[in-house]
Amino acid sequence: MGKKMMTGMIVLAFICSSFLLMTSCAKKQIQVSEPVQPATQEVKAEEGEAKAAEEAKSASEQEARDEAERQARLRDLKMAQKLADEIRNFEAENIYFAFDRSDLTDESKSALREKGNWLRANGDYSVNISGNCDERGTAEYNLALGERRAHAAKKFLMGLGISENRLATISYGEERPVDPGHNDEAWAKNRNDQFTLTK
Amino acid sequence: MRSNLNVPFFAKGATFPLCWLGILIFVSLLFPMHCFGRIYIDINAPAIRKFNIAITDFKNLSRNNEHPELVRDMPGVISNDLDCSGYFTPMDKEAFLEDSDSASTLEDIRFKDWSVIGAELLLKGSYTCIGRNVEVEIKLFDVFWGRQILGKRALGDISNYRHLMHRLGNDVIQTLTGQTGIFLTKLVFVGNGSGHKEVYVCDYDGYNVRQKTSDKSIALLPRWSPHGKKIMYNSYKDGGTLLYMQDVSSGVVKKISARSGLNIGACWSPDGKRVALTLSRKGNPDIFIIDLNGKIIKQVTNHWGIDVSPTFSPDGNKIAFVSNRSGSPQIYLVDLISGTEERLTFEGSYNTSPVWSSLNRIAFVSQDAGHFDIYTMDPNGGRLRRLTEDGGNNEDPCWSPDGRYIMFSSDRKGRYHLYLMNANGLNQRRITFLKGDQTAPSWAP
Repeated sequence: MGKKMMTGMIVLAFICSSFLLMTSCAKKQIQVSEPVQPATQEVKAEEGEAKAAEEAKSASEQEARDEAERQARLRDLKMAQKLADEIRNFEAENIYFAFDRSDLTDESKSALREKGNWLRANGDYSVNISGNCDERGTAEYNLALGERRAHAAKKFLMGLGISENRLATISYGEERPVDPGHNDEAWAKNRNDQFTLTK
Repeated sequence: MRSNLNVPFFAKGATFPLCWLGILIFVSLLFPMHCFGRIYIDINAPAIRKFNIAITDFKNLSRNNEHPELVRDMPGVISNDLDCSGYFTPMDKEAFLEDSDSASTLEDIRFKDWSVIGAELLLKGSYTCIGRNVEVEIKLFDVFWGRQILGKRALGDISNYRHLMHRLGNDVIQTLTGQTGIFLTKLVFVGNGSGHKEVYVCDYDGYNVRQKTSDKSIALLPRWSPHGKKIMYNSYKDGGTLLYMQDVSSGVVKKISARSGLNIGACWSPDGKRVALTLSRKGNPDIFIIDLNGKIIKQVTNHWGIDVSPTFSPDGNKIAFVSNRSGSPQIYLVDLISGTEERLTFEGSYNTSPVWSSLNRIAFVSQDAGHFDIYTMDPNGGRLRRLTEDGGNNEDPCWSPDGRYIMFSSDRKGRYHLYLMNANGLNQRRITFLKGDQTAPSWAP
């Protein structure tokens, strides 16, 4: 008796929930055409009158599962796309320095705050910071200056609570100019920190 | 730079030795064969008058006239050597009187024909090819006195004739100056002609170029050991700016310092047993001394500023280096025994790349009006002298082992190439004619 009640309740709950799902995904209903297996032997034997409803329920249940899966895949895809965009933006945005300087400008700081927020939200990512200089001056001094620039960003991000072991630095000195020109405009672009994310 | 830049350093307080030196040169010119150890050219004199030297085509004495091209190529090498030395003006062959070429013995040479065109020295040569070998003989004559000063033979592989001529050129320098010539020395430098910065070596005159690394990474700051057997250099091939040492003859490469951060700018101690360099393993670039296994022997500087580009004094007891502790890069001196530090440069806001010569001068690079130029000074910051001007950027100075020449890189012709000049900035000439840029020379003995 108690068992029957329970089963009835479960069936009712299933019907209700499947109705809810059906209404919310009504458009997709047409796609489902495969025959649906009865849920259990027990139900078939004892609830013969509910069989049709049961089948319909199972069908919609399966459909709902498929749809949920599809939605999840879509969501994942969107998330992945969003993440890829975020990573691309993160890596595309350099910060820039004045000649022979390694202190952060206000603009750099706000860019680093954004990067810090992202890093906090994506704890499984680490960042490689490479410091770069324009071609003027000696290779050695520029290697040291490039390192200073990378460290400036690293320290700022650490100040935002990003742990040190997620922040690697390297200096390329004047060896990897973004712009091969020999003028103020090119030099301004080449005095930068660049960021690469790794998982 | 300093205002007394153009005042010759010998003008004050050194009049007595100068007079004495002048008399010495005068007397020695009068009696070249017999007086003062036959020194024709005092290369320590503040101003050197160049000798006009006539170098004729060499005579081919080979049985079947093999390798006729050497008639001109051989004297060409020695002519270029003597020209590079800054002590001679090789004369234009067009000026030679027609019948003056054939004679090669003291009796046959009409010295009057040579003196009338202004030649003071005359160099003649001949060669004999035997199989793959060639025997060369040169004779050097004093035109005024009509005397032979030098007669020398050399035997070697024909393909290596430049080497033979450099040897004979050194003999000429030895005879005329009493000093060893630089014509057999070699250079190591960075070239990017392959699309990557790699380490190359060549003869002092830019010939005989050989690639020493093929890492397809970024090779930087090669430095030849004082004994000429090893080359230290930086490369990114394993990720960071790590320090490597290559054995020149075997090509075997050993990793010397791979600490986190920078391991850059190795400078050999004069005895070749230690290396000063910049490490930043604790986040701040300071100067350290390590042994050839990479073990730290001593921390030389400990300052929050950038400390780079160490260079040892000839006695190995001091190091000059670059620091931005005052706000901009300037050259400092540290005494390795007492630990005292002293600032050497005060003019200009960008002074870098100090290199200390065996004759106790420091060459460095200073920025003026947007360009970089090479200067020299005494190790106390005095007797400042500007060596390059009005010719693009001039950087990466390095001294010849004898301290009388400076090799440097300049972009005066567009891209960076290696140039040679005398220690006083005279006789600047381009040495490398390769694709891409050539930078960061270091001179081997």
